[in-house]
Amino acid sequence: MKEKLKDITARALLAIDKADNNKDLAAVKVEILGKSGELTGILRNMKDLSPEDRPLAGKLVNEARVEIERAFDAKFKYLHDLELAKKLEEEKIDITIEGSDKKLGGLHPLTQMQNDVIDFFTSLGFAVLDSPEIETDYYNFEALNVPANHPARDMQDTFYVTDSILLRTQTSAGQIRYMENKKPPLKMINIGRVFRSDDVDATHSPVFHQIEGLVVDKHITMCDLKGILAKFAQRFFGEKTQIRFRPSYFPFTEPSVEVDASCPYCGGKGCRVCKGTGWIEILGAGIVNRNVLATCDINPDEFTGFAFGIGLDRITTICHGINDMRLEFENDIRFLKQFN
Amino acid sequence: MKLPLNWLKDYVDIDIEPKALADKLLGIGFEVEEIIYTGENIENVKVGQIVNIEKHPDADKLQVCTVNMGNETIIIVTAATNVAVGDKVPVALDDSHLPTGKHILASPLRGVMSYGMFCSGSELMIDDSVIEGAEVNGILILPADTVIGQDIKETLGLNEYVFDISIPANRPDCQSVYGLSREIAALFGQVAKKPSLEYTAYKSDLTIPQAKISNKELCSLYTGRLITDIKIEPSPKWMRDRLRNVGIRAINNIVDITNYVLMEIGQPLHAFDVSFIDEYIDVRRAKNGEKIVALDGKEYSLNEKMLVIADKNKALAIAGVMGGEYSGINDETKVCFLEAARFAKENIRATSRAIGLRSDSSARYEKGVDWNSVELGRERALALFAQLGAGKVTDLSTGDGVQKPEIKVITTTSDRINDLFGIVVEQEKMVETLTSLEFEVEEKGNTLVCKVPLFREDIDNYTDLAEEIIRFYGYDSLTEDFIKDAQPTVGGMTVRQKNIASIKNTMVALGAYECFTYSFINQKQYDLLCYAENAPERNTIRIINPLSEEFSVMRTQLVGSLLDSVYTNQSRKNGDFRGFEIAKAYIPKSLPVTELPYENDTLCIVYTGKEESFYTIKYGVEKVLDGRVDYSIVRTSAPYLHPGIGADLVCDGKVFGSFGKIHPTVADNYGISADVYVAQIDLSGFINIEKDLVPFKSLPKFPLVDRDLAVIVKDEYTVGEMIECIKSAHPLCYTVKLFDIYKGEQIESGYKSVAFSLKLRSDEKTLVDAQIQECMNAVMDALNKKFGAKLR
Repeated sequence: MKEKLKDITARALLAIDKADNNKDLAAVKVEILGKSGELTGILRNMKDLSPEDRPLAGKLVNEARVEIERAFDAKFKYLHDLELAKKLEEEKIDITIEGSDKKLGGLHPLTQMQNDVIDFFTSLGFAVLDSPEIETDYYNFEALNVPANHPARDMQDTFYVTDSILLRTQTSAGQIRYMENKKPPLKMINIGRVFRSDDVDATHSPVFHQIEGLVVDKHITMCDLKGILAKFAQRFFGEKTQIRFRPSYFPFTEPSVEVDASCPYCGGKGCRVCKGTGWIEILGAGIVNRNVLATCDINPDEFTGFAFGIGLDRITTICHGINDMRLEFENDIRFLKQFN
Repeated sequence: MKLPLNWLKDYVDIDIEPKALADKLLGIGFEVEEIIYTGENIENVKVGQIVNIEKHPDADKLQVCTVNMGNETIIIVTAATNVAVGDKVPVALDDSHLPTGKHILASPLRGVMSYGMFCSGSELMIDDSVIEGAEVNGILILPADTVIGQDIKETLGLNEYVFDISIPANRPDCQSVYGLSREIAALFGQVAKKPSLEYTAYKSDLTIPQAKISNKELCSLYTGRLITDIKIEPSPKWMRDRLRNVGIRAINNIVDITNYVLMEIGQPLHAFDVSFIDEYIDVRRAKNGEKIVALDGKEYSLNEKMLVIADKNKALAIAGVMGGEYSGINDETKVCFLEAARFAKENIRATSRAIGLRSDSSARYEKGVDWNSVELGRERALALFAQLGAGKVTDLSTGDGVQKPEIKVITTTSDRINDLFGIVVEQEKMVETLTSLEFEVEEKGNTLVCKVPLFREDIDNYTDLAEEIIRFYGYDSLTEDFIKDAQPTVGGMTVRQKNIASIKNTMVALGAYECFTYSFINQKQYDLLCYAENAPERNTIRIINPLSEEFSVMRTQLVGSLLDSVYTNQSRKNGDFRGFEIAKAYIPKSLPVTELPYENDTLCIVYTGKEESFYTIKYGVEKVLDGRVDYSIVRTSAPYLHPGIGADLVCDGKVFGSFGKIHPTVADNYGISADVYVAQIDLSGFINIEKDLVPFKSLPKFPLVDRDLAVIVKDEYTVGEMIECIKSAHPLCYTVKLFDIYKGEQIESGYKSVAFSLKLRSDEKTLVDAQIQECMNAVMDALNKKFGAKLR
C-alpha cells in the first residue's frame, strides 16, 4: 500500500503541475480526492485491513492526502494570482489624464489673506470689529483729532455723501466706536473696505481694504508696538523679516511711525520690488494720541495704547507678487483660479 | 518741497554725500523722494574760446575752428554759422556725454580731424531760464566774462543736488530751506546759522499807508514796510539759479526776492505798488459779491467768508492767495509797500478751494505760517533789497495784530517719556536733542521744563517731546517687546463674521469663485437691470464728488456688478464659471441722506453655462439658507429675472432675495450671450444670528423600503405641492424625491406624468408588505383627491 500511495502521490503531483487552468486542476482534484477518487478509494479499503495495521496505514494515507491538498492549494493560489495579475494588467489606465469631479471654487486672494490676518490677531486676544463703511465726519476725522480744514485731510481725498457723511477713508474710524463702548484693557482689529478718490491704476484703487489695530492698556510702550508688528511681519513675509520704524505723522497717533519690512524678495539686498532700498513700506502706526483717548472718556494719564493701519491689498500684492491692483476687482476667472 | 544742497549749506556746515544725507533725513522723518542732480548726464563739456576760423578744404558748409580750451588748443569742425572768432562756447570734448544721450568722440569730418563738438542750448537740454541764448537756433554763445576751460555745469549753474523731500503735514515749519536746516543742524549736533538780516533803513519824507486789521481772527499779524527808489531789473544769476532749482521762474528782482524768501524762510510776501493804495490798508472780510481781478487776469467773486487786503475804496488782494491785477509791481513802480502777514490757514485753504485759485503763497499759508516767520521773512527780504540794490529800504513801517502768542511750556519727566518708549534714553541725551531743536530746557531732577519755540506749533504735550527725542535718538534702538504688561483679553470674530465666513465656504464647496467689485456704480445699472422708474432700488446714495459717473452712486444691489464680471470673462473667452460676492448694499433711511444708511450684507451668486439651470442655482441658495432662516419661495417679481424661471425668497411675508435665470433683455443689455443664472440674497435678517445647533437624531434601526410611483396629473400642479401632499399622506413616508417628469406621446395634452421615488421607514419595526401597500394606497388616495391624479 505504501508503494501505491507513493505512486498516487507522484501522479497527483505531476497532474497538478501539468494543470494550467482552474478547470483542469479541479478535475484532477476530483480524480484523486473526490468521492470516487483514488485516494478516497484507498481510505475506503482501509476497513479490509487488520485492526493492528490500520493506524499506520491511516497515518500514511493522511500524510499523502495532506501533501496532495497542499499542492492543490498552492497551485490554485498560483493560478488565481496569475489570473489576477492579468486582470490588473488589463485594467491599467492612463494616470496622466487630469483628475475630474464636481469642481471646487475658491476664495478671493484678499479674503484668504484677511483670514490669515484675523487668525494671527485673534490668537493674541484681539476682537474683530465691524463698523460702517459709510461714516460720519465725526468718527472718520474729528474724533481722530483731524478737525475740519486740518491739512491731514489733504492726505486723504475723501468721497462725500453730505457735508458730514462720507465714505470712510480709513478703518481707524472704528477705533472711536469701539472705545466708546469698551474700556481698557482692549485689543481690537477692524478690517474692511475703505475709499479714497484715487484714480484707478496699477497701484491705486478708489476702493481698497485696511486692517486697523488697537491696543489700550496700562504701560503700553513703543517697544510693544514694535514687537507685535515684527511678529506680524515675520508671520507674513518670512521668519527672517526685520522691521524698521521711521518717524511719520498721523493726527491720531503721537509719536507716529511708518513701518518698513525688509524686502521679502531680496532679503534686504535691494531689488526691483523694493526699488533698491531693501525695505518696503507696509503700514503706519503709533502711540494713540492723548486727545483720541480723552475723546472716548479714557484717561490718557492712566492708559496708553498703540494703533496701526495695514493695507490688506498691499500685503496681498506683496505676498503673491501681484503687479496690478486692478486685477483684484476685475474678477477674471483665470486670476481667481490661480489662488485656489 | 525742494531743497538745493548748496542753499542748505548757507545755514548748516556739512560735508556729506547726497545719498547719505537722504538716509539721515529718512531717519528723522523726512523722506527724500528724489535726489535731482541738475547737471545729470553732462560730462566733459567745457568752455572754449574760438581763436581762429577757416573754411573746410573739402566742404562748403563746414568751418574748421581753432579753440582755446585754457590748457590746450584743439581743432573743432563745425557746421554752425553763428560763431565768430572771440566767441566763448560750450565744447563737448573727445569722450564727452550730453543729456540727449549723445556720446561725442573725436572723429574726422570730411578728412579733417575734429576733437569734439560745439553745443547748442538744446543739445545741453537747457532753455533761456538757465542762460540767455539757450533757445537760439545755433551754438550757445556764452557771456564774454565766462572763464575759459571751466566745466560747463559750473558755468551754467547746473552743478547742484536738489532734494525733493516730502514734509509731514504737521511740520509747516519745515516747508523752507531755513526750516529744514534747523532739523539738519540738529542731526549734526549744530544749531542752524541765522539768516543774514543786514540792511540800513533810510529816513524818508514819504508817508506809508497805515495798516489796520478789521478781522483779527483771520489775520493775527499784518506788517508793511516802504521801499523807495525801486529799480526793476533781472535778479542776479545766483538768485535765478536757486529759484530755478526749486522750480520757480525768475521774473524780476522784486518778485524774485519775495519768492526767494518764500522758499528760504517760508514766509509769503506781497509787494504792492504804493501808488495804487488809497490812503490806508484794511484787512477785512470781503463783501458778498465783491469782485476782484487777480494777477492771473481772471475775475473772482468773493463772499464774506473770505479775507481781502483792501484800501479805502477797493480790494487790493485776496489775502494770502493772490494780489489784484493792478496793485502789483510793474515796470513803472517807484515805491513799493512790502507786506508780510500771518493769515489763518483754514481760511486761506477754504478761500483757495472756494474760488479755485491756488498760488505758491496760498499753498504755503494753508500749511500754517508761525508768528516769528512774519518778522524773519520781512527782514530777510529787506536785507535782500539792500544786497541787490533793488530799492532803498526806508524806516517807514506799519503794522497791526493780536498779542504775540505765549511761549508754550511743557513740564514732564524723563521717566514718563521713557515709559512711553519702553527703553531708557539718558536724560542728558533728551536735553541735548531738544536744545539743538531750539527748545529751552530746564532740568530739575528728572523733571524737564521745556519752552517750545514759536515755530513749533505742532508740539502740545509730552508725547510730542518724546517723538522729537526718539526721532533723533533713533527708532532702531527700540527693542521688540510683546505687549508684556498687557492684561489678557478674549478675542475672536463676531457672529456676523463667522456666518459670512461659513457662507463663503459653502459657496466655495459649490464650485463658486469669490469676486470683489466696487461699492459704487453707475446709476444706469438700474436701467440695464430693467428696474421700474419708481422701483425703490433706484433710491441710491449719490457721492457728491465721484471719480466719474461710472462710480457715482452707492449700490443697493450687487447683481449689476456681477453681471459686469460675467461680461468681462465672456469677452475674454474664459469659459463658464460660478462666482459670488458678499458685500454691502447701501439702503438709505431717507433721501436726501440725513443719517447713516443701512448697510445690508448681501450675497450675490452667478452661474454661467449650458450645464447650469434654475435648479443648480436653487441648490446653492438652499445650501446657503439651510438652518439659517425659515423661508418659502414664490414666483419672482425681480425685474432682472426671467418671470417664468425665477423665484423670490420670502420670510415673514417679506421678500429678502431672488434667484433664477436672467431676463433675456437684461442679458442683451449687458451683452451677455451665455445662459446666466443669478441669485441675490439680503443676509441682514439673519447674519447676526448664530446658526442653530443641530440636535443629534439616532440613526434608523430598521431598513428603508424603496417604492416608485408614477402618476398622471394636470400640467398646472407643481411638484412641490405634490411632494408636500405625499409626505403628509402617511407617516411611513420618510423621503420623497422627484425622478422624472414626462409629457408627450401616451399622455393626454395638458397633462403630465410625474414619477416619484419614495423611501418608507418605520422607527419601530421592519416593514411588511401589508404596511407598505397600505401606505402606498394612502398616498395614491391623497394625490387623487387633491390633484385628480391617476396611476400611470
